[in-house]
Amino acid sequence: MIAEGAVEAGCRFFAGYPITPASGIYKFMIDKLPRRGDVAISSPDEISALAFCVGASLRGFKSMTATSGPGFSLMTETLQYAVMTETPVVVALVQRLGPSTGGATQGGQGDVLFVGHSIAGGYTIPVFSPSTPLEAYELTIHAFNVAEKLRTPVVLLADKEVAMTSENVDYERLCKTEMIDRKYFSQKDGTFKTYSFSSGNEVPDFACLGGMERVTATGSAHDKAGRLQKNSPETIEVLKHLQEKIDSHAEEIARVEIDLGEGADILVLSYGVSARTSREAVSSLRKDGKKVSFLNVKTLFPIPKISLIDAASEVKRVVVVEENMTGLYRSQIKSLFADKEVVGVNGVGRMIGPDEIQVAAAVENQRVRR
Amino acid sequence: MTEVDGTRYRGTFLKAGVRFPYCKGCGHQHITRAIDNALVKLQLDPSHVNITSDIGCVGLVDALFDNVHSLHTTHGRSTAFATGVELADSILADSALKNVVVIGDGGAMIGLLHLVNAAQLNVDLAVVLYDNFLFGMTGGQNSSFSPLDFVTATTPYGNIIPPIDLITLLQGANAGFLARKTATDADLSDTIAEAIAYPGFALVEVLELCTEYATRGNSIRGNKLAEVMPGKILELGVISRKGDRLDFGSAYKKRFETVKKEVVQEPDGIAPRYGNGIVDKTRIIIAGTAGERVQSSAYMLVEAAVLSGANATQKNDNPVTQGTGFSLSEVVLSREEIFYTGIETPEVVIVVSEDGLTELNSQRVFQSANEKTLFIIDESLQTPVCKGSVLREPLRKRFTPSGAAFAGIVLASKMRDILPKEAFIDIARRQKRSKDLLSIAGQVYADK
Repeated sequence: MIAEGAVEAGCRFFAGYPITPASGIYKFMIDKLPRRGDVAISSPDEISALAFCVGASLRGFKSMTATSGPGFSLMTETLQYAVMTETPVVVALVQRLGPSTGGATQGGQGDVLFVGHSIAGGYTIPVFSPSTPLEAYELTIHAFNVAEKLRTPVVLLADKEVAMTSENVDYERLCKTEMIDRKYFSQKDGTFKTYSFSSGNEVPDFACLGGMERVTATGSAHDKAGRLQKNSPETIEVLKHLQEKIDSHAEEIARVEIDLGEGADILVLSYGVSARTSREAVSSLRKDGKKVSFLNVKTLFPIPKISLIDAASEVKRVVVVEENMTGLYRSQIKSLFADKEVVGVNGVGRMIGPDEIQVAAAVENQRVRR
Repeated sequence: MTEVDGTRYRGTFLKAGVRFPYCKGCGHQHITRAIDNALVKLQLDPSHVNITSDIGCVGLVDALFDNVHSLHTTHGRSTAFATGVELADSILADSALKNVVVIGDGGAMIGLLHLVNAAQLNVDLAVVLYDNFLFGMTGGQNSSFSPLDFVTATTPYGNIIPPIDLITLLQGANAGFLARKTATDADLSDTIAEAIAYPGFALVEVLELCTEYATRGNSIRGNKLAEVMPGKILELGVISRKGDRLDFGSAYKKRFETVKKEVVQEPDGIAPRYGNGIVDKTRIIIAGTAGERVQSSAYMLVEAAVLSGANATQKNDNPVTQGTGFSLSEVVLSREEIFYTGIETPEVVIVVSEDGLTELNSQRVFQSANEKTLFIIDESLQTPVCKGSVLREPLRKRFTPSGAAFAGIVLASKMRDILPKEAFIDIARRQKRSKDLLSIAGQVYADK
């Protein structure tokens, strides 16, 4: 569904390198894109895969690659380059059990902070996490839209369970989403500079390599014209702008599914595969007469703070469910719930079961479970 | 190639009054001027030229040019980025862009894979390798291109490793155009022009000396640059010029021009047409041996379930080597939307081979069962100790090993009234081996 969403979003260039559990996306694109006259190509490694995509995007075409944790490690260099050069590109990262090669066919949600903090300097790249095939489809289109609109790399953080489980999908439930393309520079707007903006949160108009405007793209610190500079005021302004343009659109790109329970004093918060289990647990808890709210965080970064705080405003306890050892996302959002008890339900190398969530939600003064 | 626009053409592609940021006598200046002369010679439209630069002193080259596009990249990756630009340009756009890559000997080694890959693909790039035998910008450390006995900051007693011969290496990757020159060659710009015009991968290695670091402690001089390999003199000039390969973009378009015209039958969706007997979530585990149609049979169960108006999920497991050992599917069926796809306690377990039995034992599936669990086990296997009811059937003998999983599934569905017979018949009809499958379903339902 990620691959179908990508095609629908107008992806015209895919570079792939085989890796379980992301190879299905690669295969789909190889079968689909060339027949449409588009490019799907095998790259010799993951570094090349993302570099090809960045090159193709700079030439003016929506691009995507797909990988898992070990491949993403190799891509971080080029991901940072995409941030610095303000290049729209989508990376689908289908998580497996880590660290290192970990477990190729085992699920996990252990790459959350690795992805969320993958850019030196603390820059935020948008990260979206689907839990169902329908969400995978919609969030992939959203990922392309955000990448295009904000000229940024975007990571679609799926996991083995979501990507490799076959299930029936009701296509009639697919939302029709608007497709957004990057804004191109128009000569009536004045003189072209590769990275021109007037206020920091603005996204520079795009011109492609090979077009009439002279593009000067660089991964080194630069001024608005793309000239290499060290510590000039304009360069610092550009460096700040790279974060400001993301921050200022945080609420706009936030996607959360909120299912508030009337009078609820507990909020079960999750994402990805664990959100599916959480939903089941919440529905059982409600059947037992418990008052519970449910939050499926589909935009992990930038953290949708307002939505999270709002959803938890009435509850006493927040239960954060995720398939990693220490509660990676919980560590990022805990400070938003200062006056509440925040507990984690975590698992490593296995899917978390609904029972564990029900226990964590029900027991008073529950300690953090590992 | 596009004719030059007379109003934009100034006789040089370099910035007016350009000042080279290089040390006195550095070959980088000669090579960069040669690239400029080559562009002038080819009468290219500057907006159709993209110079992709790498890291190091060579990374400053692109900024010396005017009106052309430039892409300053990360160390060694210049070729990979330019490959992406060129693939998109040649296949998705009008293929008018000329991509020139400038890279140093350090970048050539860290990005060796990208050069080999681009040569193998025959991507239409012209790579100019500024080879001064060391890392100049970082303090004169030795590179993989440093000559034997070369004294550098990091080989103070002389380099004990002979240098790599990139051109020979790229010949192994079937590179189209390869040349080796020195920075002071009068005809360097002609060779670079030929490389840019060449329709495919072209690389010109240009030998030069770093005036800051190479001349200290080394007797090698600019006129002896070809003698850096022990026991042989490096060949200079155009070494390879192939005329028999299409560049990648053209080859890709040619191949898919024919494929595009084929009508592709998209798989039909399945609309529910039958009812089902599912009450609560029904969790089914099917275990057997790879290659014996376990997972494809489980998928038929999923399709039959959807055809009967149920929701279904399927997860498969097998050893990483794919074609050997156990093969296992976990199927969940429900009237409600399925969120949690895990199976703590299965309602049905079907085991059709020794591999499957061993795997289920190691996953402790038999311990997880309860009184309501139905086990359908091939009669050739030992019956495990477990709760629930166990049915031993000659599935392999009667329906062949590759029919056993499907037979077990149909039998379980019949016994527990999960899905109607018609759903299996409909799905079986759509398969390549429909005759065998229909016969299996028929026999299972005919049994008392």
